[in-house]
Amino acid sequence: MDNPIPEIYVLWHPRCALGEVLARRIHGWLRPGNGLGPQVFYRSLPAPDAPPGGLPSPLPGEFRPGQPAASGSRLANLQIVLLLIDEQMIADASWRFWIAQLGSAGQPATSRKFLPVALDSTAYNAPEALRALNFLRPAGLPLPADEQPGSGPATETVVRSLLKQLTEALCRLMLGRASSPAAQNPAGEPGQPKIVIFLSHAKVDGTVPAKRIRDYIYSQTQLGAFFDENDIPFGSAFGRVLQSNVESEQTAALIAVRSARYASRPWCRRELALFRRPLQESGTPPGLGERWRLNPVVVVDALEGGGRTSGIPELGNAPLIRWAEEVPDQEEQVVTTLLRDALLAAFHSAVGRTLSGAPDVIVVNWLPDPTTLLHIPRVREAKEDLRVHYPGRGLSGLELDILDEFFPRLAFHSFEATTS
Amino acid sequence: MTSSSKYRSRMIANTVIDLSISYQRENLLARGLGLEHLRELLVRLARPLLRQAASLAYGGRWKESEDNFTFDLLRLISAEQEDNSLGGPDTNLSIGRLVSHCPWPEYLEVTPRIEAQWINCCRIVRVTQQDAGIGAPDQVPDGEAGNGSDRAVFNSALTLSAMRRLAMDGMTIDLPGLASPEFVPPIMARVVLGGKTTGFHGFLPGIFEEALVALERRRPLYVLGGFGGAAEVLAGALLARGPDRPQALVLDALRAGNPGLDRLIGLATRFALPAGGRASAEALDALFALVDKARGNLPAVLNTGLDEIETREMLTTCDVSRAVQLVRKGLTATLGLGALAE
Repeated sequence: MDNPIPEIYVLWHPRCALGEVLARRIHGWLRPGNGLGPQVFYRSLPAPDAPPGGLPSPLPGEFRPGQPAASGSRLANLQIVLLLIDEQMIADASWRFWIAQLGSAGQPATSRKFLPVALDSTAYNAPEALRALNFLRPAGLPLPADEQPGSGPATETVVRSLLKQLTEALCRLMLGRASSPAAQNPAGEPGQPKIVIFLSHAKVDGTVPAKRIRDYIYSQTQLGAFFDENDIPFGSAFGRVLQSNVESEQTAALIAVRSARYASRPWCRRELALFRRPLQESGTPPGLGERWRLNPVVVVDALEGGGRTSGIPELGNAPLIRWAEEVPDQEEQVVTTLLRDALLAAFHSAVGRTLSGAPDVIVVNWLPDPTTLLHIPRVREAKEDLRVHYPGRGLSGLELDILDEFFPRLAFHSFEATTS
Repeated sequence: MTSSSKYRSRMIANTVIDLSISYQRENLLARGLGLEHLRELLVRLARPLLRQAASLAYGGRWKESEDNFTFDLLRLISAEQEDNSLGGPDTNLSIGRLVSHCPWPEYLEVTPRIEAQWINCCRIVRVTQQDAGIGAPDQVPDGEAGNGSDRAVFNSALTLSAMRRLAMDGMTIDLPGLASPEFVPPIMARVVLGGKTTGFHGFLPGIFEEALVALERRRPLYVLGGFGGAAEVLAGALLARGPDRPQALVLDALRAGNPGLDRLIGLATRFALPAGGRASAEALDALFALVDKARGNLPAVLNTGLDEIETREMLTTCDVSRAVQLVRKGLTATLGLGALAE
């Protein structure tokens, strides 16, 4: 699908206590504050007018006799149905019938994709239309008998595992459009993840965090491609490979391991500078302004205790994760956060393409900061009043004040304010 | 144009807007929503109001819990104030604050520490038994507030009703030792969402009584009925055709699900009502009269600033974005809320 704008429906049976815990964590993960990310809605308790034990409200596009059609968000064109399947859902005749119907119904006005999640082994007895799909299988289930869902470490294991798998699955749906040679997986299969991840680190400072992240990506993810300098064939120009991938339609992302001497390594700075430079999207009709996108970067702070280093202005407002050797599975957190940010970047680009343009409008797919905005020529030149449309529902007053000091001729408007 | 005028204004300074928004899990979940969606709605409504110097009234309790939005609002206000301080010492004045009306005996749980902690973000307005018009001989000592006596229960309900009334009229608070009293401005518009129809305290469900006092004073009233609860019941009554009185606005039906109300009604026959006080039957009749009147012209009686179609949509939508959009549009028309970049 061109320009997919998903909205997500999480379905769980009302008697599945873990379902609500997972649904809320999914919401928090995909809507990380400030109105960013796709809409996430729930379906669990019976609809307001349904009889006891009845079905939840229909999904948008679903026909149910005697029920008004539900409407989703006006922007979305892709409905993702995340089914948290357990024995309660499988054993409930009404729910079985419902999800079978959903799976077999004709396509609604928006296209519908299913992501089934197996919360126990009975999930594979789901109606036939779903059985053929590859289930997400969160680790850590079943929960120990003495742990209430939502209140202990075992739940955290389940949540983390589910969010990781879900993020990868959504990346495949959202980013599996254009492909580039760099993004081909070994089997060259279509529909596989096309995200290209780069790992930028200063070897001179040691390689422990970088190596752990790299090993994790190779062994634990289904990512299509991953580069550090070891992955570039001898004799190839690293810079050219990097440049061509950053500029491709493909979503690329960077993990920067910031150690003591990272700021002083020319290659590291060059990689970082490339990734923090916004790219103008082609295809915007003349007179409708400009659309820009920025590839996501996650910074891993690997400074040792008491260590010091220089600031790096190119980092702007890129998210930072503090590395600590003693924290288990940190590499998973780093990579999953990066993938989530890549997903959000693709989502915000897609939403940005639907906004009405005007000659004085510049649409960006990231939360703006002075460093990244200065790469946009019309902003830098400051010859005209411009409106910048950015994702979410509004920057804080502090951020707006800082931006205004740098760019008095710009007015910032959130996507939500623009569309309401 | 400076940052302050681009992103903030004093367009509706000294205006208080009440957000009567409460979370009931079942209501929301049945509509595909959760606490997260409600919190998003609250922030989306509150922030532009604060940036235009309006103050917010919110009647939550002072105990931190996930579904109590008092602290969400305080944190939002605090963050906006800190942000705004960059613009200079005077610019703090252009961020609104929280006005927390607190009736006896609820305010007894507000410690000086809580009040001191949030003093720059919030004015806690204590509504006493005396403010409710209860004569000194009938007042219950604070120490006996929780003893469940008939007088304590009755006075608590009276003070709750008085608080809702006084919040709409504004309050003058004498400050010992100072010549000028403090004036707490009246609530100029109200947004209601959710709310209980059973297990409530007081003579009427809170949303009903709040709607009543707003309608009586012709203050803009936004009943977001699409999210369930008492607001949905009220929206249903407003949207009904013909002169019929819905069961939800009939006293016997309300009594049936509320043993506490039954007790209050009994007490109202034993104890005298202070001036301005209304027991359940009278208040419910007054509410229905206004609902009935509104059925003929919803935008005018609710004073929404929206047209008929938009007003009906506001009463029924369960789309958070649309609800926010409609309330903001209405407030723009009725109170002069401006359009700022954000």
